[in-house]
Amino acid sequence: MLNKITYLTIFIFFTYLIADDSDIYKSNSYGWNVPNSQLNIGGYLDMTYDDEREDKFLFNDIAMILSSHKERFDFLGEIELVNISPREESSSRSDVDIYLERVQLSYALSDEQTIQIGRFNSDIGYWNQAPIPILEDTTTKPHLIGHMFPKSTTGILYRQNLNGEDTLSFTLQDNHDIAHQDNLISINRHFGFSYHDVYDDFSLRLAGGLYREKDGINTTYLGVGAEYELDDFTMQGELFTQQSRDKEDNPYSGYLQSSWNFTKREDLVARFEAYDDKNIGMQEEIYLFGYLYRPWTNMALKIEYVYHTHLPLNRFVYSLSVLF
Amino acid sequence: MFRKLFISMLLFISLNSEEILIIGDKNFPKESLTLQEIRAIFLNKKRFIGGEQILVMNYEANHPLRLCFERNILDRSERSLERYWRKAYYKGKRPPKIIKSTQMLFAYLDSVQPSIGYSDVNETINNVEVRILYRGECIYDR
Repeated sequence: MLNKITYLTIFIFFTYLIADDSDIYKSNSYGWNVPNSQLNIGGYLDMTYDDEREDKFLFNDIAMILSSHKERFDFLGEIELVNISPREESSSRSDVDIYLERVQLSYALSDEQTIQIGRFNSDIGYWNQAPIPILEDTTTKPHLIGHMFPKSTTGILYRQNLNGEDTLSFTLQDNHDIAHQDNLISINRHFGFSYHDVYDDFSLRLAGGLYREKDGINTTYLGVGAEYELDDFTMQGELFTQQSRDKEDNPYSGYLQSSWNFTKREDLVARFEAYDDKNIGMQEEIYLFGYLYRPWTNMALKIEYVYHTHLPLNRFVYSLSVLF
Repeated sequence: MFRKLFISMLLFISLNSEEILIIGDKNFPKESLTLQEIRAIFLNKKRFIGGEQILVMNYEANHPLRLCFERNILDRSERSLERYWRKAYYKGKRPPKIIKSTQMLFAYLDSVQPSIGYSDVNETINNVEVRILYRGECIYDR
């Protein structure tokens, strides 16, 4: 039986082998381009150590990403192996779950308009655009992810480019989710809009919509976010509110996060969160302080301490993630 | 007096700049581009123009023109671009085609339409079969 250290050693060795980013640095390109084709195959790995969890060591995700372009069509697929615990005796869940995270086909209607069908990350806010640890500065996600709006949508997305980098999009879902998933919000209807405005170092996002959960509960949400990015400093914040006629409201959930890139490969991260969830009768603040080290552009080692004002979840979280 | 002269010389040196030209093929569908449009094209946010997919070209890392382009036209740091392309890859986007020289750039501009890249003035004036879409400056004190 392999123990935790053996798994960790194998994992680090494996990531070292695939994490050589010399070509990535030169080209900003990830994955492997299949010769003489438009197909790119890549993925990411993510492992965490969380003292509060039953399975302290966990391979949260091992995912494969497939993408392809053909004239006006773009295809993107993501398949995940999740929750792989090194513990053979783990009983809290099946040791490995495999599921389809995204499968989407886009078509460029014109120079400025795109239509997309399939299952995709809902075009809402900043964090949900890239909700995996290797792409974010912290291992843990803000409370609003998974609580204030549907993380994924199975339906149609229409996107209009406005004046260069600005975009406006509309989302429509009126069907069941096509994938097995463990999202907290599981929906069969979703109408939403999103607006993204870019002013040099500053950008703004506005999103709103309504969704119906599988049990028939209808909810509306509205949120605003902003990001300010300098050479060695990034500030990002989002605030959402949620109302429902069928259940208690979630009046607010938001966060403000800053990252200070104090050396070329190291960041210090601080995040303040606050939320009020009437459904569970909880109103609290969460403080996070973290350290992020990226030895290569496609690898991240993170340590963070999370402090909750009410829930007994104060802890250190460690993670290692690789994009390949 | 000497101090003022010395400071003036330092200022002159630090503000010394060269022109960078964003260039398209000779039949590029637009006469000029705004900075926002250039950023959208080079960051793969805008892929089509005149109904055709644009071939976007960039130099290798550490190429002086690329450093100038990223700092002065895209207005982004190396860290910012690393962050951007990691997330872009996750969304299925791909970075511009890497070229090794201005000769290669002009060869592509001559054969692929629509296509876009950038060069300095001296290289460009000797290659008249291109369309200058934007004139920017490389300020090296940044």
